[in-house]
Amino acid sequence: MKVVTGVVGNDIHVVANRLIELSLKARGFEVFNLGVNTYLEEFFDAVVETGAEVLLISSLNGEAEGWSREIKLLKSSYKGLDNLVMMIGGNLVVGSADAEEIVPKYKNYGFDLVFHQVDLNTGLDTLEEYLKQRGMR
Amino acid sequence: MSLLQEEREIILSNEYVDNFDFAEVEEFVKNASKELFISHHFKKKTKMLVQPRGGFPTYKKQFALNEFFVNANVDVLPLTIDSNTRLNDYATAKKMLRLSEENDVDMLNGYPLVNHGYRNTRKMITHFNKPVSLRHGTPDARLLIETAIASGIFEIEGGPITYLLPYSKNFPLDKAFLYWKYVEKICANYSRLNEPINRESFGPLTATLVPPAITITIQLLEMLLSLEEGVKSFSVSFSQTGSVNQDIVMGAVIRKLSAHYAKEIGCEDAKIHLVYHQWMGAFPTNKSFAEQLINMSTVIASMVGADKIITKTREEASGIPTKEANAATVANTQYTLGILNGLPRIVDEEEEEILTLEVHAIMEAVFNDPADTLWRKVFNSIKSGIIDVPFSPHIINHNEMITIRDAKKNIRIIKRGNVPIPDRCYEYEKAQCDLSKDTTSIVNDIIHDIGIMQ
Repeated sequence: MKVVTGVVGNDIHVVANRLIELSLKARGFEVFNLGVNTYLEEFFDAVVETGAEVLLISSLNGEAEGWSREIKLLKSSYKGLDNLVMMIGGNLVVGSADAEEIVPKYKNYGFDLVFHQVDLNTGLDTLEEYLKQRGMR
Repeated sequence: MSLLQEEREIILSNEYVDNFDFAEVEEFVKNASKELFISHHFKKKTKMLVQPRGGFPTYKKQFALNEFFVNANVDVLPLTIDSNTRLNDYATAKKMLRLSEENDVDMLNGYPLVNHGYRNTRKMITHFNKPVSLRHGTPDARLLIETAIASGIFEIEGGPITYLLPYSKNFPLDKAFLYWKYVEKICANYSRLNEPINRESFGPLTATLVPPAITITIQLLEMLLSLEEGVKSFSVSFSQTGSVNQDIVMGAVIRKLSAHYAKEIGCEDAKIHLVYHQWMGAFPTNKSFAEQLINMSTVIASMVGADKIITKTREEASGIPTKEANAATVANTQYTLGILNGLPRIVDEEEEEILTLEVHAIMEAVFNDPADTLWRKVFNSIKSGIIDVPFSPHIINHNEMITIRDAKKNIRIIKRGNVPIPDRCYEYEKAQCDLSKDTTSIVNDIIHDIGIMQ
């Protein structure tokens, strides 16, 4: 299964991004890693280009929140992305806030799976479980 | 007029430069106090030179910081440049400098040297009469370096590889090589007038599990790119790895190989120095622990036999340090150096041999690239993954190499990618690690290995 991943916005924190790539590959995914400093259009372009079924966006400095507000609008301008599994993880706010507050907010932005300051493997376990439930794996 | 001079006039005819007077600057460098040249201090030094990090937006704050450093018995003053200037965005730097001056709040993470100009900055630098080291991270540093030397800053950090691969996603690497060629030429030309301008490479790179063979290769290549343009004083550097033995081995090998490769291109007259960076990875938030880490780094630097140490502060984990904390580290480091006597000399011949073989193999692969000039050979080697820097964000970097710590916390290569690590060395590196684990636990180990000092 194909996954597009990368760090959104002007965020240049690269370490977790590399580890996400390694971990996804270890779990048998085909990974298209756009790296740090990636804009939303680039993510969706890559999904269309590769035919990926999963989009995993990450953020460390919290600027994801600013960008995520535009996701629904942008995604609707692409055709055939209705079944795309959308996942986001990392540190999802600038400053601090509780996961209870953040998760519904991001679900509303259009994400199926939201992980705020959750351990990488827990997040990926949940992704695999979710894909099974949807009959994709 | 030479092509270089033509290029200089274009670079310096910039709306943010207030009438650059070439003849006056040349006269200034020619007659500048020897004390301003770190190359002069290296020549006559009896102890390791201590240099902190630091840069504030306004002249007033930078001056105050320097006063604190001088009172703490600093050997080399830093001048760290703000991130807008590093990206050649002088317009934003100008605006943020004005806001910082008018509101007494720092709106920049360093000193916008181009906006302050050389006439003003020179007053500060000649006032303190200490060598100043320019710290930045700029791929196109042509205007910055012209301004720095005209200000009396006679040590320039950076290089086309070490200032690009850790800091940028897509600035073109070939352009960086050409812009830095200009910098080397300018440094070489000014070096003829007085004591030499010292160039220093940035060895820490991403400071995240970079194996010694990669660090040393890149140090040697930036050294060669600099010496071939005529630079006569150069510092290679690296940062604390996390294993005392590995640091000592690295120090020995980099000293030996820098002399070897300088001689290979007929530049044995150039002076090569060794700089050690205190731990560059994530710091403990506990400030007392941070002080212990800093102190330990100083001890290791002495065992490595570094010519200069670059310090951190107890506030590293919490952001830009205050001038008080910064000066305290300088005083503490000087104290530790003063009482460190009779350190035993440690030599690990087996590790030195393995590392030397690895570096020679990568260097040979670079030299064997068919391109006609060294910078093109290096460029092609990075593009093809012969040089691969773990955790570089740059799109040109291969990211095929995987490294991990062994039981003694040495950084080991467990996947070499396209890097031509000789088989014997590769087997040795892997044999030090437990590779029976699955990838998920190796990823957990890597996360732990990155944050060992926290």
